[in-house]
Amino acid sequence: MMLAVVNGDQSAYQVIVKQHLKSVSHYAYRMLGNQKDTEDIAQEAFLKLWINAGKWQVEKSKLSTWLHRIAHNLCIDFLRKHRRTQLQSEILEGVEPNQEPHENPREGSEAFQRAKQLEMAIRGLPENQRSALVLCHYSGFSNKEAAVIMNMSIKALESAIARAKRSLRNELSETGIEHQ
Amino acid sequence: MITLDEFSHLIEVHSSDLAAWPSDLQIAGEDFLATSEEARALMKDYLELEQQLDVLPVPMFSGLEAKILGQSLPPRTPSLLEQLLEWLLPNSGFTLRLWQPVAAACLPLVFGIVLGNFYSFGVTFESDEMEYWEDELTMLSLNNYSENDF
Repeated sequence: MMLAVVNGDQSAYQVIVKQHLKSVSHYAYRMLGNQKDTEDIAQEAFLKLWINAGKWQVEKSKLSTWLHRIAHNLCIDFLRKHRRTQLQSEILEGVEPNQEPHENPREGSEAFQRAKQLEMAIRGLPENQRSALVLCHYSGFSNKEAAVIMNMSIKALESAIARAKRSLRNELSETGIEHQ
Repeated sequence: MITLDEFSHLIEVHSSDLAAWPSDLQIAGEDFLATSEEARALMKDYLELEQQLDVLPVPMFSGLEAKILGQSLPPRTPSLLEQLLEWLLPNSGFTLRLWQPVAAACLPLVFGIVLGNFYSFGVTFESDEMEYWEDELTMLSLNNYSENDF
């Protein structure tokens, strides 16, 4: 499929977009926290895939790994560029939790509060910890694959994800959400 | 027996699902879990964290696919380097096209042989063999082979 893309086949490119868009967009959203930036990053990631298709080597990594590496680098660059304003915009952005309607509206609002607080805690993580958490917990990559995506050793990756989870657990324990 | 810190690290790295742990650590993890109340509390905390992570929502991004597929793509023409690499190391029909990289590898060798054959580059080559025969002929010419000696 990628060989066809290298040769300029746009229909092959479209197939790849449809196969990987959900995964890439979800990764970018969990990294960036807002819809507009996520769409911009996703669009740029697939554009880079088109332009650099010839650089992908099947023996080195899977296409999904390579594509997520592109998305990861774009997200990191974006976050570093917009570091100061990122958290402010994330607070203002709101996404309604995808919850089933609750008979008891109080429970629904508590679940919503928990979700918002956990989202804020994730946004507060350093970029590499956030990325490690998203890649391993949400995107389904193995520790080895995530290390390739983040261009770090497996040990460094495991350290990042361990710190991320520990931070989240500690923060949720402090707010008293976890033990309700 | 693993320690609580090690147990905690393993949960953080591999998740609360013991089946996802390295196979050589699963039994140790199960044993520790069975014997340690702190381990069970820790496991419960991380399990709840993971469950809460799982229900965090993500927008639908309706229209994003159409937006990406609708964007104009630059002409996908391989660069000169990509074309050269494709010619040297083709992705298909490798056996039949093996001659290409072999020929390309032999070119510098052939060039060097031709160059060395036609140019001395200031290097003189002295033949000891020719000097030997010159000396021999000189010695023979000095010998007196007149009939009176025999």
